[in-house]
Amino acid sequence: MKAISELNLPEDVRYTDDHEWAKKNGDVVRMGISDYAQDQLGDIVFVELPDVGSSFDKGEEFGTVESVKAVSELYMPIGGEVTAINDALADEPERVNSDPYNGGWMLEIKASDPAELDALKSKADYLEVLKG
Amino acid sequence: MRTTIKRTPLNRWHRDQRANMANFGGYDMPLWYSSVKDEHLAVLNGAGVFDTSHMAAVTVVGSEAADLLQYCFTNDLDGCMGPSKKPLSPGRCVYGAFLDEHGQTIDDAIVFFLEADSYMVVINAGMGGVVADHLRHNLGRRNATVTDLSDRLGKMDIQGPAAARILSEVLVDPKAVLTGMPYFSFKGHFDPTSPLADAVRLDDGAPILLSRTGYTGEFGFEIFLAPDRIQALWEHLLAAGHSFDIKPCGLAARDSLRAGAVLPLSHQDIGHWPFINHPWPFALPYNADQTGFTKDFIGRAALEEQTDFSFTQVFVGKDLRKISAGEGSRVIDADGQTIGTVLTCATDMGVGCYDGIIFSVASPNKPEGFTAKGLCCGFVKVDRKLSLNEHVDIADNRRKITVTIVDDVRPHRTARKPMAGMI
Repeated sequence: MKAISELNLPEDVRYTDDHEWAKKNGDVVRMGISDYAQDQLGDIVFVELPDVGSSFDKGEEFGTVESVKAVSELYMPIGGEVTAINDALADEPERVNSDPYNGGWMLEIKASDPAELDALKSKADYLEVLKG
Repeated sequence: MRTTIKRTPLNRWHRDQRANMANFGGYDMPLWYSSVKDEHLAVLNGAGVFDTSHMAAVTVVGSEAADLLQYCFTNDLDGCMGPSKKPLSPGRCVYGAFLDEHGQTIDDAIVFFLEADSYMVVINAGMGGVVADHLRHNLGRRNATVTDLSDRLGKMDIQGPAAARILSEVLVDPKAVLTGMPYFSFKGHFDPTSPLADAVRLDDGAPILLSRTGYTGEFGFEIFLAPDRIQALWEHLLAAGHSFDIKPCGLAARDSLRAGAVLPLSHQDIGHWPFINHPWPFALPYNADQTGFTKDFIGRAALEEQTDFSFTQVFVGKDLRKISAGEGSRVIDADGQTIGTVLTCATDMGVGCYDGIIFSVASPNKPEGFTAKGLCCGFVKVDRKLSLNEHVDIADNRRKITVTIVDDVRPHRTARKPMAGMI
């Protein structure tokens, strides 16, 4: 397990208490799980994502991430309509472990309320959550 | 009441490696170090070491020790070895269980026949006191002394096809030790005052009890030794096994390896229900035609007059996806009826299905280009006996998957391979 000081927590993404991240990427918002989340879960062997076109509210479950030990729910950091999913995770779910913010992204959505993104936690606030 | 979590002698080592730790059986144990999958595969391809000092051991010594164990343990010490059912002899060990008078499992165990009138019983974490009390409670007038060795003994396992070659690097006279060591046999003793202690020594002089057993289904050993000697051995084996890609393995890999090898986890796959109608009939003292038992033992009457007709069976899924076993899980038959619960559901990452046949990364006949994508597997407890190859659904509150009832999961396991080919 990584110490908090060893975690890769980029400044340019926003975080949730459930350890998802979200980041504005042009017209859409890209999301995934944080380095802390992947480290806690261990080897990720399967990622179950929704269909493009489906819509979710902020906080709603949108899929599952399966490690060798357990299946965990994924929750929407903000609400919106799914415009793309990361198809590469079907064959290489381990990307979530090795590169959680780039190659391991999960969804892109069209935000229903852009203000929801601004309300998510900064790196500094997320670090406070992790330190408990 | 305040309970403090216990630590094995290797706890500091696990913590220094930043292992993902969790409470298991009252002990702070590693679940994995860096990758469960790599640890699981290391045991199939090379070797892995496991800290198992959380497990408990009890000795039973005295002129009527065998008689006490015959009465309390399910397997028949007078007829449990090999197809011809020979009596257990010194240097051999046997798997079975301790049951209560309702035929329900107190714990499963391996009984080691050390020497005349002297046995060691190895049980699960935190069960030393319970099993010792159970044996003493049933002692009657027998001449036997029961001693709980919990937390006074170090234990680690080395498992995998390279285990003997790596172990050879740390033993005095490895050829003499390992030659002629069949599955479920052992040599040596961890107590330096025992006359058996000279049979197996580490090159630093420490005496060990070396047993050709384990909990992975793969070739390997369990090693019992003094707690203050374990870290040196652990580090020595990791260094000696470097060229075999040895890995320290946590309880998560132990769980996925044992599930694929169809081995039960006590208090999960066997427990507070009758110890019968399960995939481990070899743990019961059946006669040759499997119509009755060959000896009397606690729980026998309840098993013979059972009214709880539930069956524990093995399943394998279509891919690696799992459900959460235990409370809230369901087994659903083709008619949509709920017929039981899921006891264990794990993913064996070393296997995959190809044209309807399961292969392992270690299968000599695996198809060209085969990659093990992993299969979910485990045990269901159902209220009617399912046929081999029958499909049922298993479900938790999130997902439902279709699985097949089978009698085995991971093929080409190495546990029983002749020693001659493994040194």
